[in-house]
Amino acid sequence: MRFVELLSTYGDMYVQAALATWWMTAVSFIGAMVLGLAVTIMRVCPIAPLRVVGDFYVQVFRNIPGISMLILVAYALPYLGLVLDWVVCVLVSAILICSAFASENFMSGINTVGIGQIEAARSLGLTFGQMMRLVIIPQAVRSVVPPMTNLLIATMLTTAIASQVPVAPPELTGVVSYINTRMPYGVLAFIIPAATYLCTSLLIGYVGNKLDQRVRILR
Amino acid sequence: MSAPAVKPIRDALYEQPGPKTRKRINIATAIAAVLVLICIGLIVRQFYVMGQLDAKYWELFTRWTTWRFLLTGFLGTLKSAAVAGLLALAGGLVLMWGRFSKIPPVRWVARAITEFFRGVPSLLFVYFFFIVMPTIGVKMDSFWMITLPAAMSAAGACAEVFRAGVNAVPAGQVEAAKSLGMSKTKTMLLIQLPQAIKFVVPTLISQLVIVVKDTTLAYVVSYADLLQNGRVLIANYDALVSVYLVVAVIYILLNYLINKASVAIANRNGVKLIDVSKVSA
Repeated sequence: MRFVELLSTYGDMYVQAALATWWMTAVSFIGAMVLGLAVTIMRVCPIAPLRVVGDFYVQVFRNIPGISMLILVAYALPYLGLVLDWVVCVLVSAILICSAFASENFMSGINTVGIGQIEAARSLGLTFGQMMRLVIIPQAVRSVVPPMTNLLIATMLTTAIASQVPVAPPELTGVVSYINTRMPYGVLAFIIPAATYLCTSLLIGYVGNKLDQRVRILR
Repeated sequence: MSAPAVKPIRDALYEQPGPKTRKRINIATAIAAVLVLICIGLIVRQFYVMGQLDAKYWELFTRWTTWRFLLTGFLGTLKSAAVAGLLALAGGLVLMWGRFSKIPPVRWVARAITEFFRGVPSLLFVYFFFIVMPTIGVKMDSFWMITLPAAMSAAGACAEVFRAGVNAVPAGQVEAAKSLGMSKTKTMLLIQLPQAIKFVVPTLISQLVIVVKDTTLAYVVSYADLLQNGRVLIANYDALVSVYLVVAVIYILLNYLINKASVAIANRNGVKLIDVSKVSA
């Protein structure tokens, strides 16, 4: 009975929250892929300072806790003259952190190709561009599907930090505290967001798995 | 297995540069170095212009009391992370065991719990213990309100790591154990687990990074960890930017060292890290 009551009062809010989590996840993931690719290019280019910056970037952002990152972006940056919207703060934090992991995934993708193939490509007279386009990138991209699937799920979980700043409408984690400060629904209020996260994770995992089976290279 | 090939691959992408290319690379290197320095300079300048380099924001770090307070918080972080880590190990083992059970419902439950722990953000678990539990009359210490959620998330990951490790034990080993008449439990305990440990230790260590990150959610429940103590410092000294930066650097260094250790052990054992990632938050 209370479940029906909860749904009729806050049903809309849960839908809004799920949508908020999903779009923040999508934007963060796309941003993280683009930025992660850029960082990876820096890390493999022959120009030493860019390599150093790329490596440093990855070490910093893969090791910083999400909350610590969000606090710096949301509360410290204004002191340095940069005031961002709350939602933008969340997106920036998530993109910075997840791009570091994306770059690590790309790097390990390149690593799976193997030196022998690079030497073979070169001895066939392929130029650097041809080698990249025809040999390395196709194999690297195929092999990063499973880790990137995990990263997409992780990105979604990272967007939960949005509950720490006043984002309107609240996303799936924020909505729990929002509802429970008004009406003590207890475990019920928690179950719906948890189930939504879980179903989304399972769906992402399923699709990622199917995609991996199609593009995987059997070695 | 693939450990030795990791380092040189990004160099292997290029041929030995000729004199022309070498010149071009040198020029690009010089330009890039200047650009990087300019960027760093601009950031420092912004700190300076906004008054964030003023002595009043930084001189608190010359005092022992500040560091002692941060150290107390750091120990709080370590304590929570250590307990959560141990709980996660135990929980992970149990869940993994469940997934190899003969009885289907046990397998299903273990699978469901593992997926649940892995697919839900730790923050939501924190809210569960922080907001939901009190409404049904369960009061707990703030230490457990942060340690249990961290342990739950990590237990899901550990279960997957253990499972990957057990699966990595060659099938012949299990068949040999069976033909010797060992029971399933005995095979697991005496044959599969001991060999799996070698595969999983580096990954388990790297999971500690996620546990440490999760303990920062203590921010929500006011358990005295590093971040929370940093917050108290800020309230006392009104030095937000400097304190949060120092705290972030400490976390980054700690996690960096944990990662380093896990990679070093992985290389020494000649095993790969298993990706069961859950980034943070």
